Amino acid sequence: MYNSIFAGFVAAVFINLLLSILFSVFTVKLKINQIVTGVGFNLLIAGLAKFLLILIFHSSSNTPRFENFPSFPLFKNIPGVGELLSDYIILFSFALVFLSQYVLFRTTFGLRLRSAGENPEAAESLGVKVRNYKFYGVLISGFLTSLAGIWLASNQNGFSDGMVAGRGYIALAAMIIGKWKPYNIFFACLMFAFFEAFEITIQISGFGIPSQLIQMLPYLITILVLVGFIGKTKPPASDGIPY
Amino acid sequence: MRKKIISDIIALFVSLLATFFIVSVIILLTGKDPFFIFGKMFGEVFGTGYGFGQTLFKTTPLIICGCGIAVCFHASLFNIGAEGQLNAGAFVVSLIPLYMSDLPPILTISVALISGFIVSGIFGIIPAVIKIRKGVSEVITTIMMNFVVLALLNFFLNYYFAVPSTVRTNNVSENFMIPKFSEYFPFFQGSSLNFTLFVALAVAILTYILIYKTKFGYYIRAVGYNETASKYIGIKVNRILFTAFFVGAGVTSLVGMNFILGYKGYYELGFSNNLGFTAIAVSLLARNHPIGIIFSAFLFGILDFGGLSVNEFIPKELMLVVQAVVILSILTVNKFFENLSHKLNWN
Repeated sequence: MYNSIFAGFVAAVFINLLLSILFSVFTVKLKINQIVTGVGFNLLIAGLAKFLLILIFHSSSNTPRFENFPSFPLFKNIPGVGELLSDYIILFSFALVFLSQYVLFRTTFGLRLRSAGENPEAAESLGVKVRNYKFYGVLISGFLTSLAGIWLASNQNGFSDGMVAGRGYIALAAMIIGKWKPYNIFFACLMFAFFEAFEITIQISGFGIPSQLIQMLPYLITILVLVGFIGKTKPPASDGIPY
Repeated sequence: MRKKIISDIIALFVSLLATFFIVSVIILLTGKDPFFIFGKMFGEVFGTGYGFGQTLFKTTPLIICGCGIAVCFHASLFNIGAEGQLNAGAFVVSLIPLYMSDLPPILTISVALISGFIVSGIFGIIPAVIKIRKGVSEVITTIMMNFVVLALLNFFLNYYFAVPSTVRTNNVSENFMIPKFSEYFPFFQGSSLNFTLFVALAVAILTYILIYKTKFGYYIRAVGYNETASKYIGIKVNRILFTAFFVGAGVTSLVGMNFILGYKGYYELGFSNNLGFTAIAVSLLARNHPIGIIFSAFLFGILDFGGLSVNEFIPKELMLVVQAVVILSILTVNKFFENLSHKLNWN
């Protein structure tokens, strides 16, 4: 049990859902500013992770090594992408792109969720329980981010401090570049991943291109996208406003 | 107004009490005695000259940076980019004395601080212009700018300015160093506290005057409160946003004075250790009031040094948790008080 990745999985999802509930108590129930609450939560959880890492594992850098999930056997022998497609979370994340596009734009739940973000007053007047939908949104987002964290840790066979390296913010940027639409977000993420891999390749091969400048590119591109070189991006009308 | 201040202070005490309670539970869960930990911490901070000096040394940049952020927050500009802005400015502050070493120190230091201010300010102007011209939220652009600035600095250090195989610049000459307290008051023996503290206090007072006693500050607050209404009464909203962002970001460069000219003598990548984010918390805790920021920065300074002083008993990272719990409890308590004052028909 102590060394079981499945127990870890369940615990990680559970903790993330608890934190999501706490977050929605602040932002949905008490209607406290969402950005400020987010800043507080980031401090709290990053601090707790460092604190517990030292307290439990007596290391300021990483946990002991643990086994990754067993691999998904079906596509294992496809050359090139076999390794990629034998990871459950990667497979799920690809499916998630289609799933979330479908849920957001083809189901009643998705319509109501979006109406809560676009025009909560109108939605409420049509009988949509806006605050419930905001709560569902936070919960789903908490669940999905827990998967991202689980993947990072399991893929490196351990948690290490600073491992996340601002990926939550990058994901935020990807969402904005992708104009809040899952298909577009997929390509935005692909762009970020491409530059991350490119930077590592450059560093190793030493083409003489400073890797720091490559490192800068995804963020610079995000800003350029926002400035409108690749088309305007518009958030839901009531994004970030407590209701 | 007076009722407001009294309720703010009561709210602050309630939240500190709540924080103390929550953190005590955490400490108890680790099998330690919270009274011992807190006692030890306050003993080190207030009982020794070194501890008190170090606490004030850690308070100094938080006051400076907190005030810079407060200027932006008053204009409803969520500047999450202080981390990048202050690094850019501090980097410049460290370079000027290396290349202008023949001039009288007072001149060189002034040029260094002014150039630092301008460079930090420019990194504030960029998100301001994007916001004004394209309507893009400054939250996301400032976050992106943080990464861009740090990568740029890394590049400049690696290729031009760093001492080989390090990520730091050369030492500036002793002539340009800000005097330490310990040179005049032996009480502070060994601590890095320097005269930048007075600059920080002056920044807080000037920011207070700027925001609450000048026409410009009135415009900042008006724009922050209601942009549309401000436009209709003839305030040049864009100009206010632009200036607020320039000044707010520029001020953060002064932390370079504390760390580089007052302590290390060189710029080092990562010196800020998320100062730009902690300062957001400091400013929010004081409800963006510059005088309040002096106290909230001091509280964070106590936690910062206090954490180190109890590190042998409990990981100092506990203090990161304390900082977060302070913020979250003050948000909650403020909300309850707001609802209460609505019920009691205050305001």
